[in-house]
Amino acid sequence: MTALVSVRGVHRRFGSGPSTVHALRGVSFDVEAGSMVALVGRSGSGKTTLLNVVGGLDRPDEGSVVVDGDEVTGLGEDGLSRLRREKVSYVFQTFGLIPVLSAAENVGAPLRLARTPAADREKRVALLLELVGLSGHAAQRPGEMSGGQQQRVAIARALAASPRLLIADEPTGQLDAETGRSVMALLRAVVESEGVTALVSTHDPVMMALADRVIRISDGQVDA
Amino acid sequence: MRTLILRRARAQWPLLAAVLAVVTIGATLLGVCALLVTRTSDRALEVAASRAVPKDTAVTAYTVTIARGDVASVDADTRSVLREAVTPFGSTMAGRMSTEMRPIEAGPQAARRLAYLSGVENLPDRATLVTGRWPRPGAGEAVLLERTARALGVQPGARVRLGKELVRDPAPGLTVTVVGVARAGAGGGWDRDPLEGAGYVPDYRDGSQLTAEAFGPFLMDYRDLLTGGSAVSRLEITAQPDLSVSSPATLDRLRLGVRDADGRLSAVLGERVQIERIASRLPSVLAATARQQRVTSSAVIAVAVLGAVLTAAALRLAGRLTADVRAAESALLSAAGTSRLQMAGLAGAESALLALLAVAVAAPLSSLAHAALTHLPPLTAAGLTADPAVSGAQLLAVVAGAALLFLPTPARSGLARSGADLALVVLAGGAWFSARSEDADARLDLVRMLVPALALAAGCVIALRLAPPVLRAADRWTSRARGLALPLAMSEAARRPRAIAAGLLVTLGCAAATFAVAFDATWHRSQLDQANLAIGSDLVLTLGAPASAGQGDEVARATGGRARPAADRGVSIGQWLGAGDNPPRLVAVRGPAEAPGVPVTKNAALTVTGRATGGHQLSATPQLVLEDAAGLRTACTAPAVPLDGRPHRLPECVPVDGMRLVAVMLPVVAEGFDYDSDRTSRITVDLSVPGGDGWAATSAEPYSGQLTAPAVTAYGSSLRMTADVALGGPPDAARRLVATAFADPGPVPATVSELLARQLSVGPGDQVQMMAGLTAVPIRIERIVTTVPAAPGAAAISTDLDTLSRALLVRGEPQFPIDAWWVTGATDASATAGLHLGDIRTRTGEAARLTTGPVPAALPGSLRLLVPAALLLLLAGLILHVTCDLQARAVEVARLRGLGMTRREIRTTLLGQHTIVLLPLLVAGAAVGAAATWLVSPLLVRSETGGVPVPTVAPVWPWAAESVLLALLLAAASLAVASVVVVQSRRADAAHLRVAS
Repeated sequence: MTALVSVRGVHRRFGSGPSTVHALRGVSFDVEAGSMVALVGRSGSGKTTLLNVVGGLDRPDEGSVVVDGDEVTGLGEDGLSRLRREKVSYVFQTFGLIPVLSAAENVGAPLRLARTPAADREKRVALLLELVGLSGHAAQRPGEMSGGQQQRVAIARALAASPRLLIADEPTGQLDAETGRSVMALLRAVVESEGVTALVSTHDPVMMALADRVIRISDGQVDA
Repeated sequence: MRTLILRRARAQWPLLAAVLAVVTIGATLLGVCALLVTRTSDRALEVAASRAVPKDTAVTAYTVTIARGDVASVDADTRSVLREAVTPFGSTMAGRMSTEMRPIEAGPQAARRLAYLSGVENLPDRATLVTGRWPRPGAGEAVLLERTARALGVQPGARVRLGKELVRDPAPGLTVTVVGVARAGAGGGWDRDPLEGAGYVPDYRDGSQLTAEAFGPFLMDYRDLLTGGSAVSRLEITAQPDLSVSSPATLDRLRLGVRDADGRLSAVLGERVQIERIASRLPSVLAATARQQRVTSSAVIAVAVLGAVLTAAALRLAGRLTADVRAAESALLSAAGTSRLQMAGLAGAESALLALLAVAVAAPLSSLAHAALTHLPPLTAAGLTADPAVSGAQLLAVVAGAALLFLPTPARSGLARSGADLALVVLAGGAWFSARSEDADARLDLVRMLVPALALAAGCVIALRLAPPVLRAADRWTSRARGLALPLAMSEAARRPRAIAAGLLVTLGCAAATFAVAFDATWHRSQLDQANLAIGSDLVLTLGAPASAGQGDEVARATGGRARPAADRGVSIGQWLGAGDNPPRLVAVRGPAEAPGVPVTKNAALTVTGRATGGHQLSATPQLVLEDAAGLRTACTAPAVPLDGRPHRLPECVPVDGMRLVAVMLPVVAEGFDYDSDRTSRITVDLSVPGGDGWAATSAEPYSGQLTAPAVTAYGSSLRMTADVALGGPPDAARRLVATAFADPGPVPATVSELLARQLSVGPGDQVQMMAGLTAVPIRIERIVTTVPAAPGAAAISTDLDTLSRALLVRGEPQFPIDAWWVTGATDASATAGLHLGDIRTRTGEAARLTTGPVPAALPGSLRLLVPAALLLLLAGLILHVTCDLQARAVEVARLRGLGMTRREIRTTLLGQHTIVLLPLLVAGAAVGAAATWLVSPLLVRSETGGVPVPTVAPVWPWAAESVLLALLLAAASLAVASVVVVQSRRADAAHLRVAS
């Protein structure tokens, strides 16, 4: 299988002088297309920084990141935006839904960014909400839904534009164990059904069990 | 606690700086308004006093009938009383006196020729020497007016012997040497001369039944008359206080001093005079100025109240935003066991610190802003320039402004949910209805001070009630769009509860600014309208002396306009003398009617030849009424002419070209009327002017039966007048033949004001009698109007001056009722002053007085201050709101980047979101401002006396100025929002996601 994501010698530092924090220290790894990889490590180990660098939300100080053939570190602002719009999508720990939009509108947001025709958009939104089991909650706003439901909407939104890579930063971090498990199961299921590659940071052993591969990171380095 | 406050201040300094800026702006505005209603207002009184025209500040003591031994002491005591009355101001004094009549001991008719002496201080300022020189003290010398000298036939060098006075205990006769001839000057007080400056009157009555020819004055040295032993019939002394340096306290003392001087004069003079009185317009002028000051102060306070409400709205927003920002911190403190009292103490200490800082900045800032304002028009033109200074009232206002910080922040539910907005609307409605009352009492002044703020606030809360449904409708509409930026922006605007948190401030700020601009325009327009209505023409020259032939052309040449004679005087209508001290006003101006009469060439040598049947010794005193090219009619009275069949040359009655003879009056007297006689004498009088068609003759009232069968015909090249004169009956009854070049015009058509019509209970078609002097003229009311031009708000009657004059002439009144020249199209008003004919008022000058005069100037000044203050408060609040909003949503914005939105799309979305809210709020603010202009500004604009202006206030919405203002406002608000959005969207990076996750 070919690698969808290729990370080579990535360094990321924050601050300067004696107080400099080395968040990533020469991280290198590959993620094969269609696989689900769990990124595991303690808080402050550099998981979120690594995900941001892979998704183009942050730039490394050294090293390279290639996603689906695109050298992410070489992309400009517009290129990064296009990358996130077309190839990479996120699921955040705090769900990251837009509070004023309904569940359907949140799911439809990436499709609007892609200027998908309204009819196609509505069809796709309905399909995804059905996929995450929220067909009956389309008109509800995030504030009117439970955490689990919100995360399902976030997953549906992440899948809306049919990305090549789905990055999830501790998607169950704000959920109770049972809800977390169901979200993990959903994530595993949609990775398979949609053929998407997933890079998921987690502390959850269930998630690790569901993953095709587990990458452990500590002190900004990938454990061998 | 101190540590917490300081650390929090360090962390949240932009927020606290914005709050400090808001409260400082508000406190500064209040401080400047306080200085305007105290320091500037006081200064305005002083400047108004120093600029007052002399006749408005003169204090004149009149005394009548002084025995010859008391004249000097009465003069001295009167001056002492006047000096005390105008204390503490220095003054200059000028006296004028006239003696009792004396007979002229010369000629065959000595017993019927009277003369009098006069002493006038500063005579060279009141008359122009035509020939000869002024009299020397102690030499028995006199100067005559031109007309007196001509009527007496004397020239400088002549000696005139005057007999003893015609009073009890008379002074002996004396001989006066005429050393000069002078011409009476306008404004020289000649109207108070016994003969009103005429110089000669053929039928003078001194209170007895008999008439006599009167000549005078014989103008002698004033000190000579004081000590010369003549009895004085009238003595007047005018004190002119020097008001160049004054204060409100000294002006008030002056007002009281003048008011009480009448009683003091009476007590001091006692029995030495028959009548004494002190008259001055000063108390009423000062009172009027004080009224105008109150009107201006009320409007300035209304502006201050509006500023305070605006500041309160800004602070309310700041309070809410601060509470939002500190919500987590408050929850933490509360969880840590901090009591509500401790929390309140913390907030109070922080507010007190901010208030102290605001006072420290606003106090000097308001002084500087006030000083700067006084260096700008219209205050600088009004002479109100001031250096920076601090006053107690200003500090109090600044502290009050800073104290707005302590206003409790309303509950999150907002005005709409609490129903407070509806209560505000009801309150504003009640205040508006109250303010519509035409009264000018203090209670209504208070209501008027509150109405603008209440009305604008009420309008804004109504607009804010309408905003959410409108935004929701727009949200539904834009959701059909394909892209994300616009629908998301619209959804953010329509669905976020805090999206219009700054709505009240933005709407109110915009409404206040647009209202201030429109109110300024409305106020100016009303002052111009009032000036245009109050002044009958572009230029009005109110005559200080009788008009002379050719004067209209002279005025027209000087001004470059067209001069028309006009009357503006008090009259009585039947028995109605008017309400209070305000008689009905007659306003009449000469229309463009064709001039009647017979042309007479300049300096024509006119003669009169008369005969009386029966061998009776009759004589007539011809009075020719001539009209000049400007429509002025002047009466030329000749000395008595015996009807002896011989031609008698008349004096020169045609001094200028283009005159027409329009009427001739012939009062006929006999050597000795026998009351019981039933005989008559037919008289025939030929005047050497060619007669014309349309002449009519009548016998003047009263006692028209004493002269019958009047007739006038053309006789060869003469105008022949005939009548039968009764030789019996009352000797002083009028036997006056009146010949006019026109027929009796009948009742004079007139327009009357609503007020007069109401007072008289008359309507169109009714006929009344108007007393013009002693002559009753029938008037037919044609129309009722709201107000008569040149007599705004007065009970007034308006007629055509030509028709009125014809009616008067037909009734035997030769005097033309002229009081002023109305000039249209005047290009050079200043040149008119050089003519020295009287007071000059122009519409532009009156408008300038009403708009840029010292007392009203503070109002436009304060309005011009309100506009930038409103804009600054609006912008400060808006920036605060947008900053807090974007800070609170930083993570949300970062996630939009995570969705794949570019920075540009994020900026577009955020800008769109705020613009979508801002635009309708600004439009709503402008609409509220416009509505308030229509509803409220007519209530706020008052006349200078505090009453309802006449004409009615017409609201003005200056489109150009408002468009510029709104464009500026939109540009400034957009720039402020864009700046914040750009900064915030740049910060929306992974750092926020990292924090959130």
